[in-house]
Amino acid sequence: MKVSWFHAVRGFVTIRIVGDGTERLLGEAAADGIELMHLRRTSRGELECVVTAGDFFRLRPHLRRTGCRLRIVAKRGLPFQLARIRRRKFFAMGIALFFIGLYLLSSLVWRIEIEGNERLTDERILEAARAEGLRPFQWSFRLPEAGELSRRLQLKLPGAAWVGVEKRGTLITIRVVETTEPEPRELLSPRHLIASEDAVVTRITATRGRPVVKKNQRVRKGDVLISGILGSEAHYVTVPADGTVRGLVWHEYDIVSPLVRKAKTYTGERRTVWHAVLGGRSLKVSGFGSPPFAKYESVLRQENAAWRGIVLPFGRIRETQLEVKYEERRLTEEEAVAEGLLQARADILRKAGADAVIKAEKILHRRTENGKVYMKVLFETEQSIIDELPLVRPQGE
Amino acid sequence: MRRISRRLRHLTARVLELPQDVVFDLPRLTMIGDRQLYIENHRGVLHFSPDMLKLRLPNGRLEVSGRDLVIRGIWTEEVFVEGVITQVSINGQGAWNG
Repeated sequence: MKVSWFHAVRGFVTIRIVGDGTERLLGEAAADGIELMHLRRTSRGELECVVTAGDFFRLRPHLRRTGCRLRIVAKRGLPFQLARIRRRKFFAMGIALFFIGLYLLSSLVWRIEIEGNERLTDERILEAARAEGLRPFQWSFRLPEAGELSRRLQLKLPGAAWVGVEKRGTLITIRVVETTEPEPRELLSPRHLIASEDAVVTRITATRGRPVVKKNQRVRKGDVLISGILGSEAHYVTVPADGTVRGLVWHEYDIVSPLVRKAKTYTGERRTVWHAVLGGRSLKVSGFGSPPFAKYESVLRQENAAWRGIVLPFGRIRETQLEVKYEERRLTEEEAVAEGLLQARADILRKAGADAVIKAEKILHRRTENGKVYMKVLFETEQSIIDELPLVRPQGE
Repeated sequence: MRRISRRLRHLTARVLELPQDVVFDLPRLTMIGDRQLYIENHRGVLHFSPDMLKLRLPNGRLEVSGRDLVIRGIWTEEVFVEGVITQVSINGQGAWNG
């Protein structure tokens, strides 16, 4: 049945009228200004017609006067739809919630893809994007415009010549074009290689420059080993000298090594205390009372509840209290000496570089006093003795 | 007196070429093929069935016969009929043609 939108908004009723005076009713209704539409006779002689909801109530008195009775066949239109919705509140709410949820979820950023980067790592780009608010589960309406976003990202990424941000639904694609940078040249200004220690040269090889000293020659700290000046006195060029020079170096050490050592040991006695954790707070659950140990250490282990990889903000802490005992150990003099030498050797290797080799060691002096061993030890190591000295060009050249 | 006034109206209608329905309170029928019929200036429904619609006119009766007749709309002076219309007849006890 075709009905105008105006009637659909007002609501309309399809009714069937039974009675002898139906024709008279039509006349009266028309005279009263009641608009009857789509009148037809059914096969059973009833008069079926459509009337707006407002006119329906005005029809009542005319029915009684003409001795007709009516039956409602159908109710259509917005007011009746609304009444139906009112009866199914939760259903209507569900529909509304569904659309709201769909809208909210589709206005989130779900995934960020990065294209075109080789030297810049994904992490760096994502970090820069995160600083601009571009991250997964961000509302897309909180993001600035794509053009603005790419401009700001480019400022944050010095290695990128161009950054493009494209938003397609819930997926954001960051396209990066990297700058082509020339290989950084090694900065080598003209220089001498000089001795860093007083030493006896054991090996000298110059890959660039002119070796000045020879093997087995004694050098002092600051002596030139490989010269960066090539040529005669009048005609010369300066080059960055390079090469390896190794030499025997003597180190003198004063070592103090105590005869009594304190050592911490666990007795094996332990006690477990449980804490419940909610958010950032914890509450002791078991193991009340002061611990039965004189000295102990606590080992805490937190276990948070997790569901499908999502760590929930509650859990428990297992505190294990371990009893400890401090033991004093007396060393013999030999043991104290060996330990002192061990520490001194480690110290030398740390200072002289990993490729240093200890050639010889000699205890020059040793005395035991006040529970400690005092020693003076001479170490002979073979190590790299290179230091660099820049060549400053004379003014006016 | 009535006779004079009627003659006068007749005269003005002829001289000013006014439509007759305006001057003489006559029904105006607009018919589109055999499907739709628009009747203005009726005085109420006398009978309505799927194959016959009888209307009262200011002077006489109008009978519309056909099949599956439906009144699309009815107002104080107008009726809009739809269906397959086979015959329209007016039997006026016309004072105007006498």
